[in-house]
Amino acid sequence: MTPQLAFLIGLFIVIVALVLTRKQWAPAVLHAVPSIWRIAKITVAEARRRRVIQAVVILVVLILISMTFFSYLSPQEQSRMLISGGLAAVTVFGILLAIFVAAFLIPQELENRTVYAILAKPVRRFEFVLGKYVGALIILAVIVVTMTVVLVGVLLLQDKLVQDLPDSAFDPNIGGVVFAAVMSYFAIAVLTALIVLISTVASTTMTIISAFIIWAVGSLQSTISDLAAHAELPVTKALLTIVYIVVPKLENFDFRHEVSNFMPVSYMAAWNPLLQGIGYVAVVMILASVFFNDRQV
Amino acid sequence: MGPRKSRNLLLGFLMVGILLMLIPVQEAIHKSRPHVFDPDRKTKRVSSISIGPTPAVIASLGGFRTVAADLLWLKAVRIWDGGSWWAMLPILDAVTQLDPQFILAWQVYGWHAAYNLHAESETIVDKRYWLANGVKTLERGVEANPSNWEMIFELGWTLYDRAHEPWRAAEYFYKADQFPGAKSYITRLYYRCFEGVMDFDRLFPALEYAKGRHNDPTVSDDVQHQVIVNRDYDWWMQHRDDPLEHRRQIVIENTKRAERSVPFYLYPDDPYWDVCPICGLPSPKGSDVCSVCSAPLKALSERAGRPSSESTASAGERR
Repeated sequence: MTPQLAFLIGLFIVIVALVLTRKQWAPAVLHAVPSIWRIAKITVAEARRRRVIQAVVILVVLILISMTFFSYLSPQEQSRMLISGGLAAVTVFGILLAIFVAAFLIPQELENRTVYAILAKPVRRFEFVLGKYVGALIILAVIVVTMTVVLVGVLLLQDKLVQDLPDSAFDPNIGGVVFAAVMSYFAIAVLTALIVLISTVASTTMTIISAFIIWAVGSLQSTISDLAAHAELPVTKALLTIVYIVVPKLENFDFRHEVSNFMPVSYMAAWNPLLQGIGYVAVVMILASVFFNDRQV
Repeated sequence: MGPRKSRNLLLGFLMVGILLMLIPVQEAIHKSRPHVFDPDRKTKRVSSISIGPTPAVIASLGGFRTVAADLLWLKAVRIWDGGSWWAMLPILDAVTQLDPQFILAWQVYGWHAAYNLHAESETIVDKRYWLANGVKTLERGVEANPSNWEMIFELGWTLYDRAHEPWRAAEYFYKADQFPGAKSYITRLYYRCFEGVMDFDRLFPALEYAKGRHNDPTVSDDVQHQVIVNRDYDWWMQHRDDPLEHRRQIVIENTKRAERSVPFYLYPDDPYWDVCPICGLPSPKGSDVCSVCSAPLKALSERAGRPSSESTASAGERR
């Protein structure tokens, strides 16, 4: 099947499914939006009380500020080190916080039995799951924006402090840095959706372990693709292909390499990963809603 | 079929539809970023290098290859400061494998081998080895970054300045000059390659090319460049039919070559140099003995029964 044909068939199936179920989802969507928003706000308020998140964000800010001490390098090297190290810090700590925020969202409600009070109100289960996810996205957006603003500030400050040499200039590459940070946020959003899905059926510990494995495998997508292409045994090939299809392709959102090397980045190249991320999150959230709906609470 | 089952069925169709739609999207992502998703990247570009981390290690680092390369680069800088020049090589090799788009690492690696290690070597064989190693490293850098003019220029410069291969250098200067953002000195170096070896067949077209290359009078660097090109062009046009001036240039060129221990340029019927039939090196015209091996020049040429200019030409052809 050619990719174009797959796209057309997929589009046809989605349109048919949406048209056939319009009577079910149209009123539900109108009712769902306020409920999802209320649960998201409660989730954000709960996260604000957790000192661990604030402590980690302060730690990252300190790390970013301490990265200005590469004064023995040339300006060109300094800008590369700051950009690649800073973006790595934003991505790594963003993903770590996403794992620890999202893994506790639903299991904690179940363990504390606060979920009974919420579900006793006119809130549907899928609204609860989506509300938790939107809340996590807001928290993570604040964290990523904070870290990115600090990184941009450090780069601008360093740009003022470092004296450019004739053959070596400090290039803060602010546009590229912000773009890479935004794309990292979308990777975090995709991973968070998957963690929410796992947390609807697994315990907190299991969710955290799975999240780390998914993060590692998702970051090695091109390697898995290579291995699948060169696998000799059909079983190995099939397994690797399944892993390649199922695991989120986090590498698609990773533009740190291009930005750190000051390579030209086409912002239009972001549309395809975004489109894919939205599609992936949609599928995962449908599954999460179905699993949580069928779960005995 | 119950409402719950029908709902799940419809949701199943919805998910399958979305997943099918994502297939062409992934194809487009692969095409848009070949340096990240090139299927041959790990096998073709990495396995050809013998030292440094293995492809498996590189692959396992995933999106953190750039950070790993940075950490190793800091280590290389420390080693450089400590003076352990030979210890830098495996680290620089690892850096370029981890991040093939790290231009500065390629440039430093190639320069370190072709200049520093070449100068540090004590035998001719070692010197040749390190020069070839430096050039090969830069060639690999160009292969990994075919659209980066700085990388192409670096290879051209090493060939021109260190390997003394002006014709090959000119190829790379010309290639680098085609990219937007390339500095105007590359255009000058392009024709200077031919000027240095008196290759007039290529020099004049190169000068014509350089004249038309940077014609923006608002850029001061380019104005300067135009002055140089015009001056060179006029100078050569004036002297192209002046054989004595050509010979004078050859004497100047050979004096420079003697200082750098580079083979001499020998012009047919040279009025300034005689070539020694024993050691093959030139001596000033009319010398009684070779200035290098002290062989009697006049006696040898008379015994051979031919004028010394002929021996000069034949020696030049042999070279």
